[in-house]
Amino acid sequence: MADLVRDKREKQEKKVDKMPADGTRDKEKHYNSVIFYVLTFKCLGIHNVRSIFVFVRVCVQTGPSKPFPVTDVLKILKEEIDNKLQGEKYEAQRSRELTLTLCEVIKNRVKQLQIPRYRIVVKVHIGQIIGQGIQTRSGFLWDPSTDTFASHSFKNDSLFCCATVFAVYFE
Amino acid sequence: MEEYSSGDDVNLFFYINTVIKSSIVSLLKFCIEGVIGGTDYNQNKINQWTASIVEHSLTHLVKLGRPFKYIVNCSVMQKSGAGLHTANSCYWDTTTDGSCTVRWENRTMYCVVSVFAVAM
Repeated sequence: MADLVRDKREKQEKKVDKMPADGTRDKEKHYNSVIFYVLTFKCLGIHNVRSIFVFVRVCVQTGPSKPFPVTDVLKILKEEIDNKLQGEKYEAQRSRELTLTLCEVIKNRVKQLQIPRYRIVVKVHIGQIIGQGIQTRSGFLWDPSTDTFASHSFKNDSLFCCATVFAVYFE
Repeated sequence: MEEYSSGDDVNLFFYINTVIKSSIVSLLKFCIEGVIGGTDYNQNKINQWTASIVEHSLTHLVKLGRPFKYIVNCSVMQKSGAGLHTANSCYWDTTTDGSCTVRWENRTMYCVVSVFAVAM
């Protein structure tokens, strides 16, 4: 029993001696997080080598590299809505088409801004004005430091339009 | 909508579009009924109603415990013969993200609630 303990202690001391005298470690082994062990590379023509070690460094992005440009999106909303709806009168079929068109156009223009890792949701309401009351409200459960929205509304004598673009960061 | 073939594992897309969607629809209807069920349109209370509907919906969505970010949009309009059109367009991953819309009405008003769920 005493021999076993002595052997174990000697082995541990030997391991410690293997480290270089100045105390520096092999930096590659220290920083890399995953090691793959591959056997038999015959297909690659490597016959003598039984195993190849591959070191892989894992990187994680913790936040958006580029913040969502709210002012640019607001400009897009204003341009599209004011140009398309200026002088329009409310008509059921026409307004239906306008809602769908505006939605697609705004989404495509925001996509062209090419903001990486952001998911876009565009919502457009067009309604007739005859004195009725309407209230629209949005609530979010997201990360306020990365996620945001831009909203613009337009009104003339016969119709109103409210468009919102939500941007959600994909972690 | 993707088809489910027996023997395969249920994929996330199928899960979102059927299981979660049906539970969200019933959840939203429950929230709306709880706030404006049995009431008539009231200009003074509309602010409070929409806030309650959105707040209750979000609370119940959190309780589902899914790894999603949610956007809830609620519109309440008085019934007076006026027309209203709503459209939404999304740029996301269709296999992990989804949306659902619930329409509700009574004698004096319409209520439309949309939920967008974006995976984390």
